[in-house]
Amino acid sequence: MSPIVDKAKQRAARLVPMPRVPRAALILLVVIALLPVTDSAYLLSILIKIGLHAVIGMGLILLTGLAGQVSLGQGVFYGTGAYVSALLCLRFGISPWLAMPLAAAASGLLAAPIGRAILRLKGIIVAGVTLTVNLIFFYLVVSVSDLTGGATGLSQIPRFEYPKFMSYTTFVFYAVWLLVILCLVLTTNLVASRVGRALKSVNVLGIGTEDTPQVLGIDVMHFKVAAYVGAAVFAGIAGSVYAHHISVIEPHTFSVQTSVLVAIMVVLGGVTNPWGAIVGSALIVGLTELLREVAPIILGGPTGSYELVAYGVVLVLTLLFLPDGLCSLPARIQEWKRGRRL
Amino acid sequence: MEASTVLQSLISGLTLGCIYAALGLGLFVVYGVTRVLNLAQGEFVMLGGMLTVSFCSMGVPLLGAIVLAVIVTIISGAALYLLVIRPAKNASGSTLAFLTVGFAYAIEGTTLLVWGWEYHSLTNFLGSSSIHLWGATIFGQAPWVVGMTVLMVVGLFFFFGRTMVGKALRACADEPLGARSVGISIEKMALLSFMLAAGLGAVAGATITPLTMTAYNVGMPLTIKGLLAAFLGGIHRAEGVILGGLLVGLAEALSAGLMPTGYHDAIALGILLVVFLSRPQGLLPARSGAG
Repeated sequence: MSPIVDKAKQRAARLVPMPRVPRAALILLVVIALLPVTDSAYLLSILIKIGLHAVIGMGLILLTGLAGQVSLGQGVFYGTGAYVSALLCLRFGISPWLAMPLAAAASGLLAAPIGRAILRLKGIIVAGVTLTVNLIFFYLVVSVSDLTGGATGLSQIPRFEYPKFMSYTTFVFYAVWLLVILCLVLTTNLVASRVGRALKSVNVLGIGTEDTPQVLGIDVMHFKVAAYVGAAVFAGIAGSVYAHHISVIEPHTFSVQTSVLVAIMVVLGGVTNPWGAIVGSALIVGLTELLREVAPIILGGPTGSYELVAYGVVLVLTLLFLPDGLCSLPARIQEWKRGRRL
Repeated sequence: MEASTVLQSLISGLTLGCIYAALGLGLFVVYGVTRVLNLAQGEFVMLGGMLTVSFCSMGVPLLGAIVLAVIVTIISGAALYLLVIRPAKNASGSTLAFLTVGFAYAIEGTTLLVWGWEYHSLTNFLGSSSIHLWGATIFGQAPWVVGMTVLMVVGLFFFFGRTMVGKALRACADEPLGARSVGISIEKMALLSFMLAAGLGAVAGATITPLTMTAYNVGMPLTIKGLLAAFLGGIHRAEGVILGGLLVGLAEALSAGLMPTGYHDAIALGILLVVFLSRPQGLLPARSGAG
C-alpha cells in the first residue's frame, strides 16, 4: 500500500474519530454475560432495578455532571416513557420494541419546552422547580384516569417479544445491562467530544461560567436544553423497559420520592463520572433490599425505616468525606499515598 | 358557584397560606444568613408536631409539651448545622442542599422507627367547636394557625429590626466579610439561624397538627410547598416569603373549591409555576443594595 493512501487513511481516522469503548465497559459486559447462571428471579429483578436506575442516572450525569444543572424531577420522564410505551401497546397493539423508541422520543419532546422554560433560571432554584414539575406530573397522571388508570395505574402491559430458550426475567436482565453499557459508552464518548467540552464550559458547578462560553459563540441555552432532553430520553427508555418488564405501572413509581432518590444515587456515585450512576444505583438499591428485607427481622421495627436512615447517613458521610462521590475514591487513595511518600 | 363556597375557599386558603408562610420563613432565615437551601425545613415542622403529640400522651400539659418539643427540635436544628453543614466547608450550593436532604432522610427514618407509620393528631388548643359564618365553616384550630403566623412575623420583624443579635444576623446576610471584620462570628450566626428555623418550624408543627395531622412522612411535601412559597414571593425578603405563602395557600384552596375535582392540585401548581417563571426573581425581589 502506498504511503499516500496510508496518510489519507490516517487523516480520515482523525476526522471521524472511532468511538472509544472504555476497557472497564468491556469487562462489565463479560461479567454480565456470565452472571445469570444463578437464574434466581429475585436476584435478577434486583439487578434489573439497579440497571434501570443507572440508565436514568446516566442521564443525570449528562445534565448535572456535564451541564451543571441539578434536576430533582427525572420521574416525569421516567413516567412519560413508561406510560406512553404502555399505552401505545395497550391501545394500538403495537410491539413493545417499537413502542420503546417512540416513548423515548415522547419524553424528549416533552423535555424540550420544559427545559426551555426552566433552564433560564440560575442555580439551585432549577432543582426546586423540577421538583414542582414532578409534583404536577404526578397529580396529572392520577387525575387523567381515563387514560392512565388513575391511582391504580395500568396493568397487563405486554412483554417484549423474546427468544423462548431463556426466562423472561433473564432476557430483561440482559437487555437492561446491554442498555447500561450502551449508555455508558455513549456518555463516555460524549464527555470527550466537542459537545462535551461545550457542555463543560457552561457547567457552573464545575469550572464553567455562563458568560465565557457566550462570548466564545456557544449558545449556552441550546446546550443546557440539549442536555436536559438527552437526560429525559435516557429516563424515557428506562421507563419503557420498566413498564414492559413488570407489566404493571402506577403513578407512585414516578413520584418526587423516586426522583430525589435517583438524584441521590448520582451524587453518591459521583456526578462527573458515568460510572457514578452505576455505583450509586447499586449502593442505594442494594441497601434498600438489604435493609427492607433483613433489618426488620433482626432488629424489629417497621419496614422502611432503616433504609431511610441509611440513605441519610450514607449521603451525608459521602458528601462530607468524598464530595466528588464514591467514584473519586481510587483517585483519593492515590493522592493520599503520593502524599505519604513525599 | 355559591358565595359560601368562595368564602370557604378563602378561609381555608388563608389558613393554608399561613402554614406555607411559616415554612417559607424558616427557609428564609437559613437561606438569608447562610445561603443554604434547607430541604429539611419540613422535617422540623414534622418533628415539632410528633414531639408535641408524644409529650402530651405522656401527660405533659399542652403548653409544656409544645415548649419541650420546640427545645428538642432546636437541638436537632443545631445538630444539622454542627454535624452536617459546618463540616462541609466550601461546598457548592447544590452539595449543601443534598446534605440537608440526607439529614431529612435520617430524621424521617428515625421518626418512623420510633413512632411507626401511623398518623397522629392533637385536640384543638381551645375546645373543639367550629365557627359557622355565612355558610362557611372555620375549624376551631384555624384562628390559632393564623395567629401563630402573625405572631411569628411580628416576632421576626422585632428580632431582626430591634435586637442586636437580629441585626448581627442581618449583617451576615448582607455582607459576610464586613460582618466578620466588625467582630461578628459568622459560624455562631449560622448556628443561630438553623436553631431559629428549627424553632419556628416546631411551633408551626405543633400548631398545625390539630388541623392537618402529622406522620413521619409529612415533612418533604411541606418543604416543597415552603420552597414554592419562598421562590414565588422572593426568598430574599421576609415580606416576599409571606406573600408567596399566602398566594400558594389561596391558589390551592380556590382551585380545590372552584376547579373540577381531581385536576385542582395540578391546576393550582401549574398556575403558580407559570407566575414564578414569568417573574423568576420573585414577586418582591431583593432590594438593590442591602437585602
